[in-house]
Amino acid sequence: MPRRRAGAAIPEMFRTMLEKPSTRAYPYQKVELPARFRGKLDIDPERCTGCQVCAMVCPAGVITMIDIGTRKVGDKELPVKRPVFELSTCIFCGECVDNCAFKALEMTKQFELATPHKEDLTMRKALTK
Amino acid sequence: MINEILQAIIFPGVLFTIAMGFLFDWLDRKTAARMQGRIGPKITGPSGILQPLADFLKLLFKEEIIPSHADRVIFLFAPALYFLAPLLSMLFIPIIGPTPLAGFEFDLLAILFLLAYAAFVVTILSYSSASSFTTIATGRLVLQYVSYEIPLVLAIITAALYSRSLSVEGIVASQSTLWNILVMPFAFGVYIIALMAELEKPPFDIPSAKTEIVAGWLTEFSGRALSFLKLTKEVGYVFGSALAVSLFLGGGLGPEVAAVPPPVLYFVYFMVKLLLVGFLIFVLKTALARIKIGQATELFWKILTPVSLAQIAFVLVLIQGGVLVAT
Amino acid sequence: MTEDKPPRKEESAGLMKYSAENLVPFGPIHPALKEPEYFKLVLEGEKIVEVIPRIGYVHRGLEKAAESRPWVQNMYMFERTCGICSFVHSLTYGQAVEGLTIYEIPRRAKFIRTIIAELERIHSHLLWVGLMGHWAGFETLFMWVWRDREVVLDLVEAISGNRIHKSMNAFCGVRRDMPEGMEDRIVERMKFLVDRANYYKGIVDTEETMLERTEDIGRVSAETAEKLCAVGPMARYVGLRRDIRLNDPYAAYDEVPFDIVTSKEGDVHALLKLRLDEMIVAANMVSYAVKHLPEGPIRIKIPPVIPAGEHSSHSEAPRGEIFYYVKSSGGRTPDRVKSRQPTMANLPTALEILKGQTIADVPVVLTAIDPCFGCMDRMSFLDIESNRQWTWSGEELRRYGINYYFPERMKMR
Repeated sequence: MPRRRAGAAIPEMFRTMLEKPSTRAYPYQKVELPARFRGKLDIDPERCTGCQVCAMVCPAGVITMIDIGTRKVGDKELPVKRPVFELSTCIFCGECVDNCAFKALEMTKQFELATPHKEDLTMRKALTK
Repeated sequence: MINEILQAIIFPGVLFTIAMGFLFDWLDRKTAARMQGRIGPKITGPSGILQPLADFLKLLFKEEIIPSHADRVIFLFAPALYFLAPLLSMLFIPIIGPTPLAGFEFDLLAILFLLAYAAFVVTILSYSSASSFTTIATGRLVLQYVSYEIPLVLAIITAALYSRSLSVEGIVASQSTLWNILVMPFAFGVYIIALMAELEKPPFDIPSAKTEIVAGWLTEFSGRALSFLKLTKEVGYVFGSALAVSLFLGGGLGPEVAAVPPPVLYFVYFMVKLLLVGFLIFVLKTALARIKIGQATELFWKILTPVSLAQIAFVLVLIQGGVLVAT
Repeated sequence: MTEDKPPRKEESAGLMKYSAENLVPFGPIHPALKEPEYFKLVLEGEKIVEVIPRIGYVHRGLEKAAESRPWVQNMYMFERTCGICSFVHSLTYGQAVEGLTIYEIPRRAKFIRTIIAELERIHSHLLWVGLMGHWAGFETLFMWVWRDREVVLDLVEAISGNRIHKSMNAFCGVRRDMPEGMEDRIVERMKFLVDRANYYKGIVDTEETMLERTEDIGRVSAETAEKLCAVGPMARYVGLRRDIRLNDPYAAYDEVPFDIVTSKEGDVHALLKLRLDEMIVAANMVSYAVKHLPEGPIRIKIPPVIPAGEHSSHSEAPRGEIFYYVKSSGGRTPDRVKSRQPTMANLPTALEILKGQTIADVPVVLTAIDPCFGCMDRMSFLDIESNRQWTWSGEELRRYGINYYFPERMKMR
């Protein structure tokens, strides 16, 4: 049975005091992110075909498809759709990125998404084209 | 006359004491942070030294909420009464010379009275806000007070007995050859532990245990009252350490250096010892977990009171036997 | 409806016995509770004579929500049941769904699942030890332990891309392979964690003030714990050998050698040591699994429609047994998902322990079960006075509702 004593942590306390602090002064000192880090979603409008798979798999309902025009297939008029992302509800699971067959989606390293305007978090990039 | 008033208000009087309170708060937070592997205050002032002041000012401007069922008169005035206690007591401690600002022949008794007065004010203060948390805190506060009071007074009395004086000035003066701590190390230890209980530092932060009863007796306070109560705790910290320095560590006495004028030297020695005592408490408070109120009472009554009585007996034997007599 | 229906308003009836002065509210907002949950403590001085819980503050309707979402989306929703043991929720839900399909899970995926689950166990146990220090007023232990917890979180982030919500699971596999060249780093970090765990064991064994707060606190007999269906560490600390990893192996637990830790002492101090020991076991398992990671595919892609049937699965979360039941009618969404969390199972034991303790022990004892109220709040019934727990079918619930609001209508029948 080890000896009971008050202040068993004191030696380690002084050792810790001489070491560098393990916390980082975050906003002043950025952290390096691992290669697989999942940050803000980004889309390459050139590659998106509007296939809607991302909207179907998204667990948080981030993605809504909007009609931006029509195209003719045979003798039928089909709507052309593009996604709009409501990033404020994104849960960063990356399922849409995994399921995008055209590699149009990617997760960037950006994670400081706080903003005073909620509209900033609605990504309409794909609509412009 | 003007000089004395300035001394009482600025240095080494009220303003200096408050500044020391802020410094102790900062040191407390910084050392605890470093020992726990954190950075601690960083932004306000160099290494965040102005952080306690910033916190104090911020609280001053916050809204003050008085609970509807609280006793308004006590609730509003008791913080000011409480604030007086350590501030007044500090005037009896010699800081820049062997003579304190307001010392008289029996000022140690005045200090003992002020200690009891502070505990009394804090109790009615706590009771006045009348919420479930403060009610429990009051019970713990009173129980803790009756626990630590006896060993604390016994430890102080030991120093007074040995030095044959009831004034802080006389006790300090008697230590010019031998510091009291060398004669009565156990009294010093008991004093430090009782002091931690008085200041509600871990492991004795029982009346303000934040994970059990929110903020203890501070729960219902906000704004100005809260800022002054917090400041009072810090000033009490300074006063408790200063009293330890005066009673056991020879005040500002130390080897003389020819080039430095005596008041400056006295002040430097005093500050060094004060910070050392403060540091000792920082370390102890960081290293220990909070104990329960029953365990605290047991510790003070069953262990520390007999220890301090034995210390008194030992000192009396020394005096009677003429082995060591204070000058 | 059966005749032995529970009494109405049993909670308020229980309260009438005590005057208001003796009641101390503990929660729903309280510094000792990181999640909202309400406990009415009936006190005699500092001593607790009765605890009346009021659960359901963080009921989020997850089970109902699951019925309207595709199978894959539910995986991520159940992962968010809990902010600490997130992976094991998606794992158990995934296993329950996989039970309905015909596919075999690749062996490499099983190993990766084991690694992540054990990393999560280390992180959860470290979190708990830290909180234990915090609630016993030992801030230094709290800070140190949480500092070392960052080691695990950094590893998890490097493997999965996120610290807490790993999003690693997919049906019949995992979504990401282990990164190249991580093996040495993981083994080295695990060694570091074992060292730290041994150091903390020394601290909780020798530090007087910590011992005074934990020794002889939260004692419960093995019989009571068994009767009240304690799970996980709460069962093991009284000496019951209950661990789903051992009793009913899932993932790669039948291939990774390990032994569960049990204790005989049955107090909070034993729980502290037990969790630190489990952490060491978990660290060794991670090292072993990383070294013996088999080659092969990590995932089989399965169609979004799950065959009809019902299946259940359980696994050992850091806090105890997690249970998931799924029912499918062959569509794109589940018919029913039921989940049972360890906190729910351990709460009766904790309340039993609380009686007779002092108010200073409440945070310590409530923490001892490692409560996760966000996980716990489901549709389930708990009668504290008789320690009876039951569930109702939809029809019974409907009848109870009618009876509650319109008793005269029931009488007419």
